[in-house]
This record gives sequence, C-alpha cells and structure tokens, in this order.
Amino acid sequence: MRFVGESIPRVEDRRILTGRGKYVDDLTLPKMLHAAFVRSPFAHARIKSIDVSAARATPGVVAVFTGDDMRRFCNPVSTSLAFGVKFPEFYPLTSDKVRFVGDVVAMVVAESRYEAEDGCELVAVDYDQLPAVADYDDAIDPTKPALFDELGDNVVITNAPVSWGDVDAAFAEADRVVSASLRQHRVAPVPMETRGSVADYDASSGELTYYASTQSPHSLRLQLANTLGHPMERFRVLANDVGGGFGLKGSVVREDFCVAAASRELGRPVKWIEDRNEHLIASGQAREEMVQIEMAVKADGTFLGMKAKLIMDAGAYPNVPFVSAMFVGLMQLLMPGPYRMKGYRFESSVISTNKAAYVAYRGPWEMETWVRERLVDIVAHEIGVDAAEIRRKNMMLGAPDDRLITGLTVKGISSRESLDRALEYIDYAGFRKEQEAARAQGRYLGVGFATFIEAAPGPAEMRPGGGMFGGERAKVALQPDGHLVVTTAQAPHGQGHETTLAQVAADEMGVPFEHVRVVHGDTRQTPFSVIGTGGSRASTWATGATIVSTRKLREHVLAIASGMLEISPEDLEIIDGVVTPKGVPQRGLPLAQIAMKALMDPASLPPGTDGPLETHERFTGEGITGSGWSGGTHACTIEVDVATGRVKILRYVVVEDCGRVINPAVVDGQVCGGVAQGIGAVLYERAAYDSEGNFLTSTFMDYLLPTSAEIPHIEIHHLETDPDGAFGFRGVGEGGAVVAPATLTNAIDDALQPFGSRVCDQYLPPATVAEIAGGASA
Amino acid sequence: MTKQSVRLTVNGREREGSAEPRKTLADFLREDLQLTGTHLGCEHGVCGACTIMVDGDAVRSCLLFAVQADGCDILTIEGLEKDGKMHPLQEAMRDCHSFQCGFCTPGFLMTAYAYLQEDHEFSEPEIREELSGNLCRCTGYQSIVAGVQLAAVRLGKRQEGASS
Repeated sequence: MRFVGESIPRVEDRRILTGRGKYVDDLTLPKMLHAAFVRSPFAHARIKSIDVSAARATPGVVAVFTGDDMRRFCNPVSTSLAFGVKFPEFYPLTSDKVRFVGDVVAMVVAESRYEAEDGCELVAVDYDQLPAVADYDDAIDPTKPALFDELGDNVVITNAPVSWGDVDAAFAEADRVVSASLRQHRVAPVPMETRGSVADYDASSGELTYYASTQSPHSLRLQLANTLGHPMERFRVLANDVGGGFGLKGSVVREDFCVAAASRELGRPVKWIEDRNEHLIASGQAREEMVQIEMAVKADGTFLGMKAKLIMDAGAYPNVPFVSAMFVGLMQLLMPGPYRMKGYRFESSVISTNKAAYVAYRGPWEMETWVRERLVDIVAHEIGVDAAEIRRKNMMLGAPDDRLITGLTVKGISSRESLDRALEYIDYAGFRKEQEAARAQGRYLGVGFATFIEAAPGPAEMRPGGGMFGGERAKVALQPDGHLVVTTAQAPHGQGHETTLAQVAADEMGVPFEHVRVVHGDTRQTPFSVIGTGGSRASTWATGATIVSTRKLREHVLAIASGMLEISPEDLEIIDGVVTPKGVPQRGLPLAQIAMKALMDPASLPPGTDGPLETHERFTGEGITGSGWSGGTHACTIEVDVATGRVKILRYVVVEDCGRVINPAVVDGQVCGGVAQGIGAVLYERAAYDSEGNFLTSTFMDYLLPTSAEIPHIEIHHLETDPDGAFGFRGVGEGGAVVAPATLTNAIDDALQPFGSRVCDQYLPPATVAEIAGGASA
Repeated sequence: MTKQSVRLTVNGREREGSAEPRKTLADFLREDLQLTGTHLGCEHGVCGACTIMVDGDAVRSCLLFAVQADGCDILTIEGLEKDGKMHPLQEAMRDCHSFQCGFCTPGFLMTAYAYLQEDHEFSEPEIREELSGNLCRCTGYQSIVAGVQLAAVRLGKRQEGASS
C-alpha cells in the first residue's frame, strides 16, 4: 500500500483554489432562459385565483406557468420508496392550496433572472387563509383542516409498537423507572451552494439533459423521467462540482420538475438557481422529533429496559425519493445503542404540518443517539451514579456473542475503548476536580461525552447480498496509455472521492496515483445508485466496488502479460504501471503496451483474454472484515457564563473508529465538519416557525451558522480497529454530526447541575441557558 | 432598463461592459465577464463567498452594484495564480486540505489574502476572529485556519512554530 493511509493532496483542490470549479450556476448555454418562482406567503390557504397577465406582459418574460399548466405537462409526483406512508397526490406546482410558507405557486421564465423576478412581482394570487397546522398538537387536533383533503387527517403513518426481549419483566424488576420527554428542533442542512439546475431540451433528438447540483444523479433522473413521462433513453442527468449537500441534495424538489418541464415546453435551456432566502424557506429542513422515553434501572445503575414513543414532524409535502418516515426505522433499531438491556419497546408516528419538507440531514437517525445519550446522563444524575461509570457498567465490549437488544451482532465494536480513550484524553478525573474548584469560585464548568454506533456498513446480517440497495458497482477501464478511469456511482460534493478512490485503485492496480482519473456525476456513464453519495457509503461500498473491479481488471491484464512474457501470472506484479516478473524488473512490460496490443492486435492475445480491458463489478459486502460498525465517543469541556448564557467550548475530543483510514486529512475534515454542524444545531441554528406557521428564519441574520470564532479546535484520535482487513474501511461522514449534539448538551447540563438542570430540549441558545441558570434571560 | 457602461480593471486587465444600474458587481463579474470563480452563497452580505478585492480592500461583491465599481481595480480568485503557479496562500490551503466542496473557497481566499497583506500575529485565535465573516459548512474551519497560518509562515509573516 503506497497511497492508502496517506494524506495525499486532493485532486479537486487545484481547480477549486483557482476559481476553475464548475458548479451548476457557472454553466451558460446558448439561448438559455432563467426561472424564478412565486411562493406562498401563507402557511395554509386555498388559492382562489391567480392572475398572470401582467407578469406575462413584463419585458423579458417568456412564459409564466401555474399549477394547471404543470398538471398538463406532468404526472403527479410519486416514489417507490414511500415506506407505507399515506402519500398524497400532488404536482410540481400547487393549484388548489398552499401548504407552507414558500410553497410554489407559479413559475416565471425570462431572458434574465432579474426579469424573471420582475415577473414574479406581478403575479397576483388571491388566497383564502386556513388555520395553520403548526406543531404536533395541531396535527392530531381533529378541528384542524387536513393539509391534503383526500388524506382525511394529518397523521402520515402510525407504526404499531415493536418489542424485543421481555419489556414488562424488565420494568417489573426495576428499582427505578426514569422518564423524560426529549425534543429536538428543526434545523437545516444549509450547503453553501443552494439548489439549482439547468435543463436543456433538444427538440431534434428529444433528449433532455439536466445539469444539477445533486448528490443523487440517478434518483433525480428516475424521478424526473417518471413525473415528466419522459423516455429514459433520452434523459441524462449531469452533476459537476456540487457545493455541499449533507443529505438535502439527495431529495428531488418540485422546482426540479418545473425546470425540466419548462425547458421541454419552451424548447430552450432553462436555468434556476435557488437564492438563499428560498433555500432557507423551502428547500427542506430536518430533525424535528419528540420522544417520550422511560428507562428501567436497578439502584446500582444496571439498565433493564427501555420504552420509547417517537413523533416526527415531516412537514407538508413528502420528501422524495425517500420519505422521511423511513428514518424512523433506523432510530428504532439503534436507539438502545451498545448497552445491555433485557427489554425494549418502540412505537412511532409521523405527522404532517404546514412547514417545509423534512429532508435527510447528515445522520438522519441522529435522534436515537441524542435521546439515548441524554437519557443515560439523566438516569445517572437521578440515581446518583457517575455518567462515565454507568456507561462502563452497561456497555457491550464487542464480545463474539454480543448483540444489540434489537438483535444486531456487534462483535468487535470498539465503543468501550473509544469511551475510555475519550475520557482519558479529556482528563475526566482531573477535570472533575477543576470543575469543583471553579464552582467554589462561582464559575460553571461542564464536561459531556456521548457514544454512537453507526451501521456503516453494518454487520453482515444487515446487508445480505449487498443490503437494501444491492451493494454498489464501479467501472474500471484501462486506457491506451496505461492509465485508469474509475467510474463511480458516488456523487461527491466535497468528500474528495476523486482523490480517495484514486488512492485505492492506484494501490490495487499498481499504478501511479496521478494515472487514475475518477469519473462521477453522469448518468450515461456511471453505475446506477439510488443514493449516490450519502449514508456514509463511499468508504465502504464505493471503495469495495473500486477494489473488486480493479482486481478483476488486474487479473485480465496479468493474463495477457502472462502470455506475452510466457511467465505464469502468479509470478508477475505491477509496479508503477509496469507489469514485471517478480525479481526481474528489467523484463517489465508497461501497461500501455498491453492496452495497445489488446486494442490493435486482439488476434494475437493469449486464448481467453480477448475483450475490453474494462470491468464493471458489483461489491456485495463479501470480504468486509471487522464489526461492520463505525462509531466512537466524543467528549467536550465547556464553561457557561450563567449571566449571559454564553457557552464557551474549552476542549473538544473525538475518538473515532472508522476502520482503516484511506486519507487521514479527508477523514478528519469529515469529522470536524460534522461536529461543527452538531455544535451549530445545539447553540445557534433553528428553523423557526411561529404558531401560525410563519417562517421566522429566512436569512443568515436569523438562521445562524457557526463561524470560525465559535467552533473550537477539535482533537481527533483514530482507533482504526482491524486496520489490515482487505475491506476494512468504514463510513465516517455522518458520525460527527450524529454524536456532537449529545456531547454538547450533556456538557451544558453538567455545567448547570448546581441549578438543578435537566436538559430535555436540544436547542440551547444563550437565553435558554441563562434561564436554566436562573439568571437574566435575554 | 437602461444600461450604463462600466469600465474597470480586473486581475490586471482593463475590462469594459454595460450593466443595468441594479445589476450587482458579483453578477456582472460572473455573467458579463465570465469570471465564475466568485461565488454567491447568500446575496445578502453574510456568507462572504463573493468576497473580492476592490482597490485593495476585501469587499462583498453581492452588496455592490456593478456601476459603483466603475473605475475600480479588482482582484478575484482567478487573479491569484501567476504564470500557472498558485499563490503561496493557495498552495498552503491545498497542503492543509483546507476545503471540501469548494463553494465558500473564493471568499475565504480573498478574505485571507487581504488579511495577509497586513502585519498581524496570525495566531490561531486571531485567524479565527479574522475569518469569522465567512461561512463554511463543510470543514468546521479547522483546516482553513491551518491553511492561513501556514501561508503566513511561508510568506514570512509569522515565525514557524510560534505559540498558538
């Protein structure tokens, strides 16, 4: 291994550092038009009439489309991944009702974006307001109107209770039952590049090309072709540089359908670039859930059982292709975490409100970790056991027969080691003394820690034959000059796959790193994946696919070389792009020579070796070593100014186990970015609606992202269990965002213990912190 | 709407165009001059992705109209590279894996470029404060801060191994 394990500078960096990146808004096509949308100012209202005549007469405006037009151009939006939820009939533009502030009512297409916005100003919509369904209580209130008349009410799905073990016996045995109602607030992924696309319909061929800022090109193509009723042999999606996604850009939004339909109708390219205001209002938000939970424990802190009841607020329109209700299944599976218990019951429901759609956000199941790790601290406080001790007492060690209460094997997990190491690095014992001394001086320090496990890829029984997405494919092709093209199903948007997959392929083949080009984002070339880049799949699934495809190509090349050199393939190796008899480097055969022979003189190839020097293999997960679980423990120390409620993070320590690390700098970047998002969610960010469903945080002055001055230095340690396994790479993209909220809220709660703190809301802005401390609230 | 002529110097070259008075400088650079290296992340002056140098100062190009920049000397991310060689700031940021998706990158580069023109301590807390007007959603900032500090060392603005 020469490249794997090294912080190789990224292939992507030269272009992004010199202004040569190609993001979707950088694309200009001849005759291109620009779109803008008219959006609802109301959370819930019937549309009485729309008058677009003045808009149509505006200079530069080429077309104005309404919901009725889109009903003619399109099929209803649908998905095959509805997971049993009640799925309403809706179209790209609404025509009967608006269902959230920002709902799309009309589309104006003009010669420039400025003129398109002029046109939007002149679209007159007459609304008849309806009572808003703004929260969990409204959603189950029978006097409130249903968002979608045909669905009858606002409960999208009610999942019956599911149990593991003997829950009643576990609770009967308990010395104490600790209960809590834990809520997390809406936040949003907020990539720095908003959504956007350019649709280019070519009337001569009937081909529709859709350039998009997406992390799931194949899903986008499937959804668009389906709703537009467009034949897929004439439908191509292209994604070039994408300015962040974090799950959000795996969704297909209604504007996407509109842009594609408009180009097809008008026979000209149409560009739509969402502005930040639209993005915050309408592109989607995440994380809004509430859990009522009970934990049965013995007086000594031994966990016995857990009962949880979860409600998710999915917003108005279902997310496609993955409805948000699917994440509830992961929350259910992982909520008990790596702790022993005898019984567990989980029930859930998903409701609909007049808010933007609930979309995937970096670790969409994060609620399970936050709830569990917060609850463990609450239990520890209530029974008077140290928060570290109670975890040590109950945490599985990864023994061969260890299983989560939900049944999944966790042989080899490193949760306990990560906990011990994190507490050691943060100097837990020392900090407790410091905390005590500080309290005596009226200063409030806190320490918090939390442990997560992530099924990336999960144990073998979770992914028979490659799991619910059928594993992943990659293509690897030898070029006539001996270089390699790896075509991945991933759709990177910051993760550096052009670098990391090239490291893997270069090592596997035996070629220089610079000789490997990674191609992505073109549905005409890339293997199908319903996800693209998401779910922390790249380091396991895309890497595995690259390895198995490269390995097969290598065998093919060696079979040809074996015939040419009259040496058995086992006695050949490939070093720096040259096939070499072991120990006889001077007899080397460059890959270029083999590639050219295969192209120009196939008749002379050894028997059975003719055929393209290109492989297209599927990685099913076979050969994955280790536990299959990513995970780790984060710990942080803080100081709270109880007068102002300001939380200052003193230290933030990460102990991460994502198996073998391909590119340490890339991995650390994933960890730091996730942690920053978790910190942001707790202290700064909130996608806020009032009780009438009005959206309150539609600019960056209201929706606060953390800056370099708020995010602390993050100290990262890798465990790299099973570093030698052939497929020992595990996912790392989501863990930071999954466990940081629990880590930080636990620290804040710890700091505020002298005030009787019992944090049950994840959002802890200064006013709330000061209020808990009994100080002056802002 | 009537257009007005705009003449300015961009990355050392005289450029000329015409723009409606309402057209932002950012849009003018991107659309009229095809300099798409400058990005728009919020269009309300908070995220800093559109930061460029105007007459020696770091400025948000989404908050200026093109006509206001008439006669100005402008430097954008495209102007940092010289003769095919990246500026030491760009090299340091590559070496520190400073960025991920690259969308905020032009703004951070130009903000840091302006900062590095002056004499400062270039300590970690100071860099964090100086960069706090730019938003990045991918990195958690650590790698960007490291990149700026490395650039300060390489440009002789800071002693290697100085504290914090």
